[in-house]
Amino acid sequence: MRYRTYALLVSVLVVSLLLLSLGNRGGGARRPGDLIAVVITPLETALTTIHRSAVGVWSAYLVWKSVRRENQALRSEVERLHVRSLQVDETQKENLRLRRLLALRDRLPLSTVAGEVIAKEWGGWVRSVTVNRGRSDGIARLTPAIVPEGLFGRVVEVRARAAVVQLLNDPSSAVAVMVQRTRTAGVAEGDPMGTVRLKFMARDGGIQVGDLVVTSGLGGVFPKGLPVGWVTAVEDRGSALFHYAKLAPVADFARVEEVLLLTGQTGADLFPQFAARPET
Amino acid sequence: MRLTLALALLGGGLAQTSVAPALRIGGVSPDIPLILAVFLGLSRGAEVGCLSGFVMGLIQDAAAGGFVGAQALTKALAGFAAGQIAGRLWVSDPLVQVPGLVLLTFAEGLTRYCLLQFFHFPASFGDLMLYVVLPQALYNGALGAASVLALSVAESWRSGSLWR
Repeated sequence: MRYRTYALLVSVLVVSLLLLSLGNRGGGARRPGDLIAVVITPLETALTTIHRSAVGVWSAYLVWKSVRRENQALRSEVERLHVRSLQVDETQKENLRLRRLLALRDRLPLSTVAGEVIAKEWGGWVRSVTVNRGRSDGIARLTPAIVPEGLFGRVVEVRARAAVVQLLNDPSSAVAVMVQRTRTAGVAEGDPMGTVRLKFMARDGGIQVGDLVVTSGLGGVFPKGLPVGWVTAVEDRGSALFHYAKLAPVADFARVEEVLLLTGQTGADLFPQFAARPET
Repeated sequence: MRLTLALALLGGGLAQTSVAPALRIGGVSPDIPLILAVFLGLSRGAEVGCLSGFVMGLIQDAAAGGFVGAQALTKALAGFAAGQIAGRLWVSDPLVQVPGLVLLTFAEGLTRYCLLQFFHFPASFGDLMLYVVLPQALYNGALGAASVLALSVAESWRSGSLWR
């Protein structure tokens, strides 16, 4: 066995040396290499082709992976930018609202406190919002709350750092008003459906659809001249002593996020301040 | 089994000119036929190691267009030496196999250089050893270690011990 192993080694060495010397002689002596090359060249070509294909597939896979990763990164970037864009948009809108509120505040001849709506009660029984201003900010019960468009409601409950504002369309809300055009007095009341109705207005007042209704200042709760709403329908109740009408409030209760609380008192008619409000 | 071995030898011989260039790191390629010859010698004995080294070396010589027979001789010697070592030393541990592969690669390079001196090979000994043989020996060691690890993992996986 051992002899065979060494015999094999010697044979291999002899063949190798023979090949080497044949190859080194030149002329036709390169034949051994050429003969082997005849066999291995096609195999080599095939192996190289397979290898290149495998490398190509692998490269394609790597590119696909990289593109996928890049795609995911871009998607998340787009998502992030979209959120950012929404935030910017929201900030711009807030900025606009606050500018309008500030402009109104500067025009009014009485002291005010700006408040942010922090909660809303929107059921049929009660319609109110909670603002982040309370007793510590000088807010008292029945303080009027306004928005740049006009009357919003009044404070019905005051806490240390918050106040509950009853909206104009709350079923238990009643505000002394008058038709701005004819100066005919009446009462604007909320109803369970969330609309505002005009009651107790003299029949000879000449009320019309499209008339603007403002606070009359009677009762001392609201200053005179705050826009309340537009007459959208007049109800004719035959021989009734008073006119009844439906109002579209000037304030969009569902969208209000900031209000002005009127902490000061004034006997002046505030309507010119609202009438002078620039349209935006 | 013999067919598998024959295919492995043919593939190993041809891999050097097709696959090995893709594994080049810093200009150094592994000597895949040598790694195969050494591992075959270690696992199957001197005869298989010697013959496989000869066949793969011959293919390598023919494919590379060098001195036909030079690598056949040196790789046959390396495979034979690996088989001889396997009969005398405990070589089943990768910690022996891998340094053994490094040493045999170095010895193969040295032998090839000495052999080629008979044919007036022009390269200087120092440069060849420092820039070709030694880096290739180290690379062969690293690739051999990776192969041994991959084989043992595959073996464990096949026997299911990886999941127990």
